[in-house]
Amino acid sequence: MNPTPTPPATADDDGSLDPQQAAALLDQTTQQARRQFAFSPPLLSVLRAAVVLGAFGGIWLSVHAQHPYRGPSSGALTIAYVLAGLVIGASAAAMRRATAGVSGAAQRKRWVGITVMLVAWAVVYVFMAALDHAGAGSAVVFGLYPATAPLMILGLVGAADAAGREDWLATGSLLSMGVVSAAAAFGGPVDAWLVMAIGLCAVFLGTAAVTAWQQRRSLVRP
Amino acid sequence: MTSDELDPLIHVPTRLKIVATLAALPDGDALSFTRLQDMIGLTPGNLIIHLRKLEEADYLSSEKTGNGAASRTTVALTSRGRAALDAYTKALRDLLGGVSLGPDDPERRRT
Repeated sequence: MNPTPTPPATADDDGSLDPQQAAALLDQTTQQARRQFAFSPPLLSVLRAAVVLGAFGGIWLSVHAQHPYRGPSSGALTIAYVLAGLVIGASAAAMRRATAGVSGAAQRKRWVGITVMLVAWAVVYVFMAALDHAGAGSAVVFGLYPATAPLMILGLVGAADAAGREDWLATGSLLSMGVVSAAAAFGGPVDAWLVMAIGLCAVFLGTAAVTAWQQRRSLVRP
Repeated sequence: MTSDELDPLIHVPTRLKIVATLAALPDGDALSFTRLQDMIGLTPGNLIIHLRKLEEADYLSSEKTGNGAASRTTVALTSRGRAALDAYTKALRDLLGGVSLGPDDPERRRT
């Protein structure tokens, strides 16, 4: 984009913009607004990519030499919970920033979607407790299931919600999360963690790249 | 096509910024006056003048809730305002399609 200086904001009707200046101002303002209203900015997606790599990769390191499978070590789980807390905190801060002063039907729908996703996530762990109660083996209860089911359900529920809002980037990203999680289950209780680490890292990095491209996309120039 | 054919209501720096900012929100969402003011960087008086002109043309709607210090004003782009911005963007695109790019334009340097 041509780096035309932004004309000063005045209260009068000074229509001194030529088309090039108008195009530059329109693109600059739109890009700034897109960044400020972004629920999931590119840097947050990069952080998510690093966290899934660290958390799932750490758990895989703690289980990959286990024979028989006993489950993730408490150290690896602690690191995973701390990293998850970091992402949740960063996501909440990004949401607060994006929604400050914003109201309306689309906002309400988004919050309803987030609430449904959180409930779905909690339900996944209730079912995990039911599996344990029913006597399922530790390879399932503490391996395959927690490695894949929570993010698979979260991804699929989130994708349905995002599709309802016609947010196609979020739909693609969340659907990919569900697909990667389902595919990871074929890795078994040990390698599922590794497939999740690499697969989700790739999904989040791809999301970051597409988000950055969308935010910079010009309205005027093809 | 000439620049005279661009919508004069939008073809003013401040109002172009207001409309472009509100258009970045999903359809049906509104923005508080104070956040819009922060984002545009205008004094309240100046912003009100421009908002009034856009509201008179039915390009945006405003709503005030509460009383006194707790009152809150929100503004949203109407479907007419969104259509006007779309038409303005298309007109700009058509205009620039026939204009050669300047020497500092990265699009030109790339070719």
